[in-house]
Amino acid sequence: MQFTRDRLLDAYRKMRMIRCFEEKLQELVLAGKMAGFLHLYAGEEAVAVGVCAHLDARDWVASTHRGHGHCIAKGVDVAGMMAELFGRKTGLCKGKGGSMHIADMDRGMLGANGIVGAGIPLATGAALTAQIKKTGGVGVAFFGDGASNQGQFHESLNMAQNWKLPALYVVENNGWGEFTPTEFVVPVADIAERARSYAMASAIADGMDFFDVYEKAGQAIERARRGEGPTLLECKTYRFHGHYVGDTLAYRPKQQAEEWKQRRDPLDHFERRVVEVGLLDGDDLRHLDGEVAAELDAAVRAAEAAPFPDPGDVTTDVYVTE
Amino acid sequence: MPRVLSTGQAINEALAIALASDPDVILLGEDVAGGGARDADGVDEMGGVFGTTKGLVKRFPGRVLDTPISEMGILGTAVGAAATGLRPVAELMFIDFLGVCLDPLLNQAAKLRYMFGGKARVPLTVRTVSGAGMRSAAQHSQSLYWMTTGIPGLKTVIPSNPADAKGLLLAAIRDDDPVIFCEAKGVLMLRGEVPEGDYTVPIGQAKVVRAGGDVTLVAFGATVAVALAAAEQLARQGTEAEVLDLRSLQPLDEAAILASLEKTGRLVVVDESTPRCGIASDVAALCVDRGFDFLNAPVKRVTAPHTPVPFAAILEDAFRPSAEKVIAAVREMG
Amino acid sequence: MPTPIAMPKLGMSMQEGRLVAWPLPLGAAVARGQIVVVIESEKAEVEIEATASGFLRHLYVALDATVPCGTLLGAIAATQDEPFDAESFRIAHDRPEAPRASATAAPHVAAAPAGATPRGAPKPIAPAARARARELGIDPARVPGSGPGGRVTREDVDAWVARYQHCIEVAPGVALEVPATGRGDSVVLLPGFGTDVAAFARQLPALESSFRVLGVNPRGVAGSDAPPADAYDVARMAEDAACAFDGRAHVIGASLGAAVALELALAHPGRVRSLVLVTPFVAASPRLIAVLDAWCRLAAEAGPEALASALVPWFFGAATLANERMRARNVRGLTEIFARVPAATLVRQAAGLLAWSGTRCADLGGISVPALVVAGADDLLTPDAAAVARAIPGAEFLLVPGAGHAVALENYEAVNEAILAHLSRSNADSPDRGRGASSVAGRSPISNDR
Repeated sequence: MQFTRDRLLDAYRKMRMIRCFEEKLQELVLAGKMAGFLHLYAGEEAVAVGVCAHLDARDWVASTHRGHGHCIAKGVDVAGMMAELFGRKTGLCKGKGGSMHIADMDRGMLGANGIVGAGIPLATGAALTAQIKKTGGVGVAFFGDGASNQGQFHESLNMAQNWKLPALYVVENNGWGEFTPTEFVVPVADIAERARSYAMASAIADGMDFFDVYEKAGQAIERARRGEGPTLLECKTYRFHGHYVGDTLAYRPKQQAEEWKQRRDPLDHFERRVVEVGLLDGDDLRHLDGEVAAELDAAVRAAEAAPFPDPGDVTTDVYVTE
Repeated sequence: MPRVLSTGQAINEALAIALASDPDVILLGEDVAGGGARDADGVDEMGGVFGTTKGLVKRFPGRVLDTPISEMGILGTAVGAAATGLRPVAELMFIDFLGVCLDPLLNQAAKLRYMFGGKARVPLTVRTVSGAGMRSAAQHSQSLYWMTTGIPGLKTVIPSNPADAKGLLLAAIRDDDPVIFCEAKGVLMLRGEVPEGDYTVPIGQAKVVRAGGDVTLVAFGATVAVALAAAEQLARQGTEAEVLDLRSLQPLDEAAILASLEKTGRLVVVDESTPRCGIASDVAALCVDRGFDFLNAPVKRVTAPHTPVPFAAILEDAFRPSAEKVIAAVREMG
Repeated sequence: MPTPIAMPKLGMSMQEGRLVAWPLPLGAAVARGQIVVVIESEKAEVEIEATASGFLRHLYVALDATVPCGTLLGAIAATQDEPFDAESFRIAHDRPEAPRASATAAPHVAAAPAGATPRGAPKPIAPAARARARELGIDPARVPGSGPGGRVTREDVDAWVARYQHCIEVAPGVALEVPATGRGDSVVLLPGFGTDVAAFARQLPALESSFRVLGVNPRGVAGSDAPPADAYDVARMAEDAACAFDGRAHVIGASLGAAVALELALAHPGRVRSLVLVTPFVAASPRLIAVLDAWCRLAAEAGPEALASALVPWFFGAATLANERMRARNVRGLTEIFARVPAATLVRQAAGLLAWSGTRCADLGGISVPALVVAGADDLLTPDAAAVARAIPGAEFLLVPGAGHAVALENYEAVNEAILAHLSRSNADSPDRGRGASSVAGRSPISNDR
């Protein structure tokens, strides 16, 4: 794989931003400063950034309730996201969506989604649009191991393969569906195997390794753009925090979490690789850490100072024409 | 030049006009082509279970898509396509199947615009067959338009005749919001004059199809014919009924309902759906809330009973509203 | 800048937590991510990580204390010995959540207490009727309802108003209800003792197509004011009637109303075009006096239906009484009328009537307007109607065989025919009698042996 310095810096910055963004939210919620159900992506950064590094303005991404990482990876404005999470008028969705519905149609982000699996057909639809309008774009669905048990997962993959849609289905297998271990509810060892039922191409990537995700995603996206059809890409990953902020994690062995955090942190891995190969050095990355911290800080302050929506906004934006 | 078409033919015409005039329009659904787009000999397309979409796949290849039997997949994909630049017309074969694909409509199509602060549009049309009258029994004969009417973010329309069906469907397709277009069984087989060419019937506008001063009969879809039959009989008995065809359930033409109530002081709603939480109750509540001082008699609702739709002909006929039931309601209200 | 350790809010429903343990001693070094406090909430212990590295400088909450979310538990300072003001730090960072209002439902509103007096069902009135009544300033409860269950409709209000809404002030603070209907020359109706203008119900259809008919409900009756008095003077009632119409009118009076009509004709001959006297009297017979006395007593003690049953035999002839259906119907009709005349009015009318009785016998000769007297052959209450007819110059007389005191109800076709004929003859616009030879004095009555 060939990487320019800039591309690597961009990748690291995005991953670091996701990590810091999520940790900051954890802080804010536990301090009682932020409300709502928040589902943190910390630990899974390499998947979102590894896939989205191949996407451009032609492409659409649909996400899940654990969607902040995909938004940031797709280039959605962090300050706008923060303001949205604080429920402010300046939020990306004018305070009307919240964490599970952050979206930016201008950046091809079809939204986080509060319904497990619902993003899969939406991304399939985006792929259909790309095919009919011949844009060369792809529709990417990010979803979890739990969502692969939803009927709409199966229906969408079946339809996409029938029509050879330019779609990429990224299942982020983090070993846990809410409080239930994946192995209790998924009978196949690798979810990627499910693609075979639909005669669909598939691949498995190490979700904690940006470079592995990047390579496999790249291949799938190229296939799609060439009109050769969709791919199911399983990324083995881990969520460092609970299902939602405030989750006491009583169901998950502490040992397991510590293992992944200490030995499989995607940010550490990325740093080791790039430094090892001499593409970037520690200073570059520390500098980016500082930038990210400053940007995040500014975003929080701006959000806290931003105005609340008008109560009259309750009834706006329901229809295009009343 | 008056041409007489069936409602199904009128809908077919509207779809052809939509496909021809806008390259972003596509049709998708189970059997919408129905065998077409294959090159085998001796094979012809069915154009849907009622033949409504026949002929379209040949004229617009690649834009009339047969799907698997995957309602969630079909509707969800249609929503995604609508949000990203197409103008899809998805078919939900029978509105009874709403249970299998409620989420794409309820939580996605209806809400994307609102949740995203006005930055998304879902110009989706869902064509679906509703209603009883063909002995199709409990799971293929329901009138669930009250469910979609009650979901903020969706629009629901229901024509009562071929001419309105054509115009209302073209309006629905061109509307930038998600619209549920109900094809009532009792209306599909009606025949009537249909104007040529491209025209629309405005969404949200009811129509007085018969003027009268003594009592208002609010009807829509298959019950308009029932109300008109009742009105004819009532006239012979000295009571002049006004029949108001709603045409659109959401948005609802409240002004038209209240204006007619003000004129007559008496109102009956005729709805072929079941009685709880439905359109009839909604209209009645409107009358009592905003037309209270116009009421010279209680508002009456003629609906199906609170039961599933039965199979046997005599039972299904007893299930459906009839002119007799409407007349009895008018007499009862005083 | 020291970092606060606060009781975290783990989930929307958490309101408070209990402090279980401080794993590190005061003053100890703390690394970010290290467990710095253990709390308990909802029966589960949760280890809370430090969000900054430094030294544990202050503990604000003791073990085992239960505090609301947001309460300041401790402080981590960057160094061990930098100045640290625990109190001002507490003031700046202690943010305990206010307890939410109890989620229990408001106490159920008690039902009406047992033993509350049951009320009769109120009269059903359609909203449109109420609105119309409000618009017109009338009480819809007074309007007879034609809808199911006696419901008053908007049309009922309109119809009633057309007939009955007219109220006229006849004396300071005294207004009479004068329902008016029809178009043409005025005809004034004066009802008898204890009745209202509904007693003339059978005359209205005949009259209103060619005349403007004004029914005068006298003081104390139906919607007319009932000023307190010992007696309602017949002369006063005549003055009231004179105020109730403009210009000249034909005046039709029944029984006591005929007495009022006579007074009116004597006091204001220029206002009266013609007179129709139905079952009149100038001197109350002993039987009439006795019946009036019984009437007053019964009204004080029983309801209108009992009163109607008792009086029906006095009002109607044998043939009507023999027909059970007709008798019952007339009882119903009288019940409705009697319901609108309170007992106090009866007493006052009776006093006035008795005071007037016998005072005008000699004055009938002075009546100068065309007159028609109508009587029932079976009327036991006012049997001397013929004498009244003879005393009035040029008066015509119609005796209806088999009819009782309520002849205008009982034999209305004959009565209406006679009245209409009389009115058309009297329509010559002349203030004096002007009948001369053309009037048929003592016109032969319709008798059985024709």
